[in-house]
Amino acid sequence: MSVPLTLLGLLEREPSHGYDLKRDYDTYFGRSKPLPFGQVYATLARLSRDGKVAPGEVEPGDGPDRKRYAITPVGKQEFETWLAEPVEPEPHLQTVLFAKVVLALMLGRSAEQYLDTQRAAHLQRMRELTELKRQDSLIDALLADHGLFHLEADLRWIDMTAARLPSLAMEVVS
Amino acid sequence: MTRFGLRLTLRGGRESLIRLVVMALAVGVGVAMLLVTMATINALGKQNARGAWLATSPPAANGNPQLGQQGTSEASSSTIDPLWWLVSTNQLGNQVIVRVDVASAAARSLVPPGIPRLPGPGQFYASPALAKLLRSTPASELGDRFGGTEIGTIGSSALPSPSDLVVIIGQSARTLAQVPGAGEITSFTTSSSSGGPDSLGTTGLQVVLSILALVLLFPVLVFIGTATRLSAARREQRFAAIRLVGATLRQVAVISAVEALVAAVAGVAIGFGAFFLVEPALVHVPFAGQPLSAGDLSIGLLDILIVAIGVPAAATVVARAALRRVRISPLGVARRVTPRPPRFYRVLPLLAGIADLAFFVAVGRPTSSNGQIQAYLLGFFLIMIGLVTAGPWLTMAASKIMAKRTSRVPVLLAGRRLSDNPRGAFRAISGLILAIFITSVAVGVISTLLIDHGSTSSNTAASKTVTDQFVFGPNNSMPSVPTAELTSLRSIDGVTGVTLVYVAPSDLRTDGPVPDINGLGGDIQFGLASCAELAITPALGHCHSGAALATLGDDIAFMPVTKSVTIAASTTWPTAHISQGLKGLPVQLIAVATDGSASAIARAETALDRAFPFVGSPTLFGEIGTQTTQLLTALKTASEVVILASLLIAGCSLAVSMAAGLSERKRPFSLLRLTGVPLGVLRRVVALETAAPLIVIALASAVIGLVASDLFLRSQLGLTLRLPGVTYFVIVIGGLVGALAVIGSTLPLLNRITRLEDARME
Amino acid sequence: MSLTAAPVDIRSTDYLIEARDVVFDFGETPALRGANVSIREGEILAVMGPSGSGKSTLLHCLAGILAPKHGEIRFSGQRVDTLGDNERSALRRDSFGFVFQFGQLVPELTAEENVALPLLLGGLRRNDALGRAREWFERLGIDGLERRRSGELSGGQAQRVALARGLVANPKVLFADEPTGSLDSLTGELVMELLVTAARQAGTTVVLVTHEPRVAAYAGREVIVRDGLVSSLVPDTRAP
Repeated sequence: MSVPLTLLGLLEREPSHGYDLKRDYDTYFGRSKPLPFGQVYATLARLSRDGKVAPGEVEPGDGPDRKRYAITPVGKQEFETWLAEPVEPEPHLQTVLFAKVVLALMLGRSAEQYLDTQRAAHLQRMRELTELKRQDSLIDALLADHGLFHLEADLRWIDMTAARLPSLAMEVVS
Repeated sequence: MTRFGLRLTLRGGRESLIRLVVMALAVGVGVAMLLVTMATINALGKQNARGAWLATSPPAANGNPQLGQQGTSEASSSTIDPLWWLVSTNQLGNQVIVRVDVASAAARSLVPPGIPRLPGPGQFYASPALAKLLRSTPASELGDRFGGTEIGTIGSSALPSPSDLVVIIGQSARTLAQVPGAGEITSFTTSSSSGGPDSLGTTGLQVVLSILALVLLFPVLVFIGTATRLSAARREQRFAAIRLVGATLRQVAVISAVEALVAAVAGVAIGFGAFFLVEPALVHVPFAGQPLSAGDLSIGLLDILIVAIGVPAAATVVARAALRRVRISPLGVARRVTPRPPRFYRVLPLLAGIADLAFFVAVGRPTSSNGQIQAYLLGFFLIMIGLVTAGPWLTMAASKIMAKRTSRVPVLLAGRRLSDNPRGAFRAISGLILAIFITSVAVGVISTLLIDHGSTSSNTAASKTVTDQFVFGPNNSMPSVPTAELTSLRSIDGVTGVTLVYVAPSDLRTDGPVPDINGLGGDIQFGLASCAELAITPALGHCHSGAALATLGDDIAFMPVTKSVTIAASTTWPTAHISQGLKGLPVQLIAVATDGSASAIARAETALDRAFPFVGSPTLFGEIGTQTTQLLTALKTASEVVILASLLIAGCSLAVSMAAGLSERKRPFSLLRLTGVPLGVLRRVVALETAAPLIVIALASAVIGLVASDLFLRSQLGLTLRLPGVTYFVIVIGGLVGALAVIGSTLPLLNRITRLEDARME
Repeated sequence: MSLTAAPVDIRSTDYLIEARDVVFDFGETPALRGANVSIREGEILAVMGPSGSGKSTLLHCLAGILAPKHGEIRFSGQRVDTLGDNERSALRRDSFGFVFQFGQLVPELTAEENVALPLLLGGLRRNDALGRAREWFERLGIDGLERRRSGELSGGQAQRVALARGLVANPKVLFADEPTGSLDSLTGELVMELLVTAARQAGTTVVLVTHEPRVAAYAGREVIVRDGLVSSLVPDTRAP
């Protein structure tokens, strides 16, 4: 789960305080594991050092979170690239997929196209595994089957999500 | 439950409606046929009633016993004087003329119906048809028989059929009183079942038609049964769904019965409608050889009630019975399993029957007539049962062979399907096989008899020779025949020779035994004939060369139906020796050989009738009685009508069962079409499956029927089968074509069912 | 890994099958609203999509079973959609093979006769046809079942017989519509394995309609049919 990139995405939507970022992250992505404040600021600091975010005016009030951060063009570029690129089709990537879909919806993008792209990548991987299966080794075949079943599960989720996009969009944007 | 069933039937959707309509149509056809048969039988009854008076016969009179009794309505004999009365039949070619001779001594006497008063001597009344015939036929062929002048026509209320030929001739009481067979009557018979002479054969016809109606019922019942089974698979699915919801088998049976009842009621209505439409045309169908009058064709209240109530009741029972055999489980129809094939032992009864008949051909028939009846009945019965039981096995065997060898797809598919389920294929036409077999036997036997014994035969000497036997004379003979008569007979245009057969005197010596060609054993009266005369009437047989006289058996006089007439012509009679000459011997029979033309025969008959009135009845040699001829001809016609009707009904039956089976083939056929199998191939498959069994079985049962009739004719009557006339073959072929046309008309269904657009994967 | 949406070049004539802007509806219901697809000879193409998307309809149009209301279908460069019923039927008979989900075997015939059916229709003599049919039984691992009826075969056995029938006449294209739809996973995989092996050996083009990714994975590429339109994304491969 890539925290920096997720924060970048949230900032892409609008410049925010660290506090707001943590709150949003917890709401959408941190259900079981809320993000510690320390991690938020540390990440923001690193992003700022790399020039991907820029701190804004300091506002009056107390506490270190009075800075409002905004995304820079560099940061934006990195985020867009990450978003458009499909995730390596490996097991346990639902969380990343999920993050991307939600972020895309937040930003008013077409999550559908993204899902299609991901599906094509999955299928390509499945093709490779299937070719592997057709060789003689049974152990290779078993391993390949394992991967194939998981990929199939992902694709099932992708299909379900694609069907649910309209309602999901409404829920996210509100 | 009944109401639910009613709703399900009427609102069950299009497929239910189609099923209902087809069942109703099937019942309608059956009802219409029943009504037609009833109407015809009624019409014949009315004809009989009108002609009952012709069956009047006087009680024992003039020494001769009479058939029948007095008429049932006894008029008071005090006010009406008795009437001298004699009824006989005459013929012209194929037509029967009923001749009534009447005489009265008193001023006021009984008058036969249809005429205003009694004709006097030298006068006669003729029926309109006879009057017309008299005008168009030369007197020497017809009119001279009656002598006298026509003074009027007989009213149609007294005639069974408007085309009947009846003449009422006036004689003087003195003349008639001396005629053997004439007697005095005081009233006329009013009921045709009195047992009197059935001159026009209508009573016999009634019986025959009733039997034929039963024979026709087989195909009709099968048709109704098939229609009831229509798309049973679909109905089973529907019922399975109902069962799943908790309905009991009994409730399902009620629903099924309701459905059948609704269809039957609708069918009865359709049948009545069809009957009334068809009724006017019935007049033209020659059931009895004579046209029926439209007024006679009617159905009584009782008939209507029987049909209107009986048919729906029967249909309901059939539907319940059909359902009983199907166990409808809530899970519906199980996966299709190939049924067990029929075993070979089913063919055994048929083989046994044929063997039985063939055995008696080879070995000769049993000597006692009881034995004969048993032998033939057994044989025919076995064959009939055998045909029905062997049918499925034969279908299976034939179609297996068909499928094993072929490279053509339609033949392969059709052959397999038939051999998988031969019972189903055979069931739809099982009624046909019996109907065709029975009627073919009838047609075969009758055609042979008619050809051999009737005036329809072609060139045999017998069909050109008129004989007059003096049965009513004293000692069955005439004391003498005046030479003048002989000369005038010989001089008739077309007559080639005249032979007298004398009563052999007691001092007759014969060289050798007299052959017994009519099989009746002992001779009643040997005859004596001059060989010179015999030579010119070859129908009676020949002499040994060089003989002057020959002894003849009484075969000439008594040639029953059971013997071939042509045998007589090839017989050589032994030489006879007597002490005196032929002159002065009484004559028992006179034979007139002609050139065979209808007019010469008519002239000979007329001349004989005129010369020897009331003593005998001139007919063609060996011809069976005219009533019998008429009856047989009518029976043959009726049989042919039954064949035609059976074939058409079988066609309908097959069309229905094919349509029902199509819904089962929808999936594989649709998919076949998807893969590029042309519709024509599928059509050929379905056509072969239905048409092939029909054609083969119809032709086979016709052939087996004709073969059985040949075996019967050979062993019982010593005759060989003469092929029936063109009508029979036309009817069989025409009926088959009609049936195939009906089947063909349902083929477009196949296109609709397997439409590519509808081939969804369900 | 990066993906590019490669434009499908439909003007090229070295495609075996092409569909261009195909429109088809069932009465009121639209099934295809302008579908485009191009298939090379020897390819194995998976046609995927949710149920009701029109993928079977697309297969039917490509195979000349249905004639589209608008648009063009070409096979070997020739227009198929303008052919008459009989001609399209002949085309299917001579050049195409079919495998469906179930119910395609003629119940009255034995397995070998079912397989021989296309050959018999083509005019081959009975013995020759059966001989060629029998070769497939061993190839597909169903030898011994030649004389059985379809009702006596298991699902997997029946589908292999159907596969044999689809391939026996050496078609240029094999159209398979959910061929493993009624089979369990293992049997389904076996059937797909055999299908792909046989197709590759003969160089047969395969158009495979399926909603199952693991079945589609046997193909060389896939197109997705959604709401009557076809989308095709070609990932460029990169060493993993």
